[in-house]
Amino acid sequence: MDLELSEEESELRDNVRAVLAGICPPAVVRAVFEGKGDVAPVWAKMVELSWPALAIDEEHGGLGLGFVELGLVAEELGRAVAPGPFLATATQFAPAVREVGAGSPLAADLLGRVAAGQVTGTVALAEAGRWEPAAVAATATETDVGWALTGAKAAVLDAAEADEVLIVARAAGTAGPDGLGAFVVSGGDLAVTPRTVVDPTMPLADVVLDGVVVPPERVLAAPGAGDARVAEALERASQEATVALALVAAGACRAIFERTVEYAKVREQYGRPIGSFQALKHRMADMFLAVERATALCYFAALAIAEDDPRRAEATAMAKAAAGECQRLVVRDGLQLHGGIGMTWENDLHFLLKRALAAGALYGDDVHHRARLAHTLGLVARDDELEEARA
Amino acid sequence: MRLTFGDEVEAFRQEFLAWLAENRPSEEEMAADPAVSSAHIPDWARRWTRRQFDAGWLVPGWPPERGGRNAGPVETLVYQEELTKAGVPRTTNPQGLGIVAPSILDYGREDQIRGYALPILHGEKSACLGMSEPDAGSDLASLKTRAVLDGDHFVINGQKVWTSGANYADFCFLFCRTDPDAPKHKGISVVLVDMDTPGITVRPLAEIVKPEHPDLNEVFFEDVVVPKENLVGQMNNGWAMANGSLAHERGMVWLSGVLGLEDEIDKVLAEAPDKLARLTPTERAVVADGLVQSAIDVAAARCLGYRGFAKLVRGGSAPEQALMKAFTSESRQRLALRAAEMGADHLVDLAPTPTEHSWLEAYFVTFGGTISAGSSEIQRNIIAEKVLGLPR
Repeated sequence: MDLELSEEESELRDNVRAVLAGICPPAVVRAVFEGKGDVAPVWAKMVELSWPALAIDEEHGGLGLGFVELGLVAEELGRAVAPGPFLATATQFAPAVREVGAGSPLAADLLGRVAAGQVTGTVALAEAGRWEPAAVAATATETDVGWALTGAKAAVLDAAEADEVLIVARAAGTAGPDGLGAFVVSGGDLAVTPRTVVDPTMPLADVVLDGVVVPPERVLAAPGAGDARVAEALERASQEATVALALVAAGACRAIFERTVEYAKVREQYGRPIGSFQALKHRMADMFLAVERATALCYFAALAIAEDDPRRAEATAMAKAAAGECQRLVVRDGLQLHGGIGMTWENDLHFLLKRALAAGALYGDDVHHRARLAHTLGLVARDDELEEARA
Repeated sequence: MRLTFGDEVEAFRQEFLAWLAENRPSEEEMAADPAVSSAHIPDWARRWTRRQFDAGWLVPGWPPERGGRNAGPVETLVYQEELTKAGVPRTTNPQGLGIVAPSILDYGREDQIRGYALPILHGEKSACLGMSEPDAGSDLASLKTRAVLDGDHFVINGQKVWTSGANYADFCFLFCRTDPDAPKHKGISVVLVDMDTPGITVRPLAEIVKPEHPDLNEVFFEDVVVPKENLVGQMNNGWAMANGSLAHERGMVWLSGVLGLEDEIDKVLAEAPDKLARLTPTERAVVADGLVQSAIDVAAARCLGYRGFAKLVRGGSAPEQALMKAFTSESRQRLALRAAEMGADHLVDLAPTPTEHSWLEAYFVTFGGTISAGSSEIQRNIIAEKVLGLPR
């Protein structure tokens, strides 16, 4: 197993980092936090550089690179607290379209337009704090003019901004992985309520599905009782979204950690740099471990996805759990070691803290993913199995 | 990045596996005469070391005349993986093979290599490392054991402690002070001392686990006379060797830590369903979460170790390697305690049944990992100062 970046991968990372330093310096991030940001130039530059095309296959006009490369970009987005539609479009929408709609003309069209930078997108999957496709309750009912969707989606990234929203809903009377379908709706056609979020560079919104009708040509996968293929495809796509978010969190955490170490070298008290005190050294050594532990697991998961290894589901849960655990430690100690200056709005540190928290939570925090692992490792029964046993 | 090694490496793995199947010591002979100290070499281990040496499988990265086959670092890693999976110890004298022999090969003269290093590689002699003293533990450079040059010999006086295997070793790779007036790092030399030399007293220190098989010792030196030619390398240049020795040791530690963790988590997860069955669902969820965190630790240790290793193989620096000693030893400690807690009436019985593996004993043993060879606290200082560049 070779978990170190190849020369090409390092070059890509350096290049992405340099571009992001230019297009979203702290002033741009601050403007978004203060409600006067404009993310259009950030996205325009990414499109100009073909970033949305990175992991889309060549058949659909993409560059045909793999998920490791996409992960490298995600880590840098976290490090820069970069705003804009890249994350939702490239790591959520495009993988879901590819996995669910494989081979369909609708999928081909959407992937082609994502690769060309003509369309942004997101995925409306989660409901009320549940991130697993099998937990979806929203329903799709077939009518004369298409499918009518009813239900409520929660915490959808970029729901108020995206051009296209992939919505997951199930055939009435089905449950669990059985009977899921996927539908594409223009963002403008949805009833969307933006949430007041900790990190406005990753805007979230709730979506109410009040019978919105999806015409047949916009159905990516029609729901069918007895068919679990859509759930499987969505699991695979969710793994990409999850690992990308884990890398966003890990990237933000690494930046917090690096800023903290630099600050501890220059901030003096009692006539010496505070970084010379052993109590602080040990906390920074532990921050370093937490960041490296999470990053290593993230790239293992990215590689498992890129090579379609059977360990991809477990590796994904471990990566996101480790990123969440990393966030808990690094946000806390990063802020604590900065002292009062870290509490001020004026200091840029809080953008990173908030990005680490938000990315750590979306698609499941460490508790959620450890609970998943407790089940897959055979240690506890799943909650629904427990309920069945009780009934 | 990729998940697998190339075809050549996999061919190497198969070649070793085939040889191992033919030549490994059997479970029966190992169980009949187990090694009871880190310098005790049972007969089967002597034969096993010699077979490995002759076939070039003892230290694959070395040339054939030293028991190797000029293998690269990736091949060496594969070799270690397979040996561990097979449950066969590479040696029963790890500090001899891993630290003393390579140090003598690096710094010693040809006659010292013939008289001390090669016998280790042939399974004929075992060695202990005389480093720590009562007042020189983490601060090793403060060591006081004195070697005074008197004509053609040294006269050694002083005391070592925590000396693994001194009660079984044939000789000691002894760090001693040869210039008391020089700054403390600059007055240390290494001398090879046969353990049967008059004036040496070894007092085993029974440990909190298996007191009947002590491995740590106090070693007292009283007017011990050692020929001058037993000096290794240059006079007063011992500190370079101390750093070199520990580098040899740390070079091995990450992989054995990872492989040990993988073996242990597999055992724990296999035992878990039965043991957790007696818990209420809520208790079970709490305990399960601890085990999951350990499973993540194990996967992370492997990923971190292999990532750092890949960087080193490419000739770069690998700051994560500095983390591995503290991380793997602390992970093993957490895992052993969680495993012990799974047992019925957990933490009351030494083991669930007298014949079962005792995770509680294993827990105590893990403190050897977090205390010795640079404690976890020293590791954090090293990381903070050497890797993060924080001021002293």
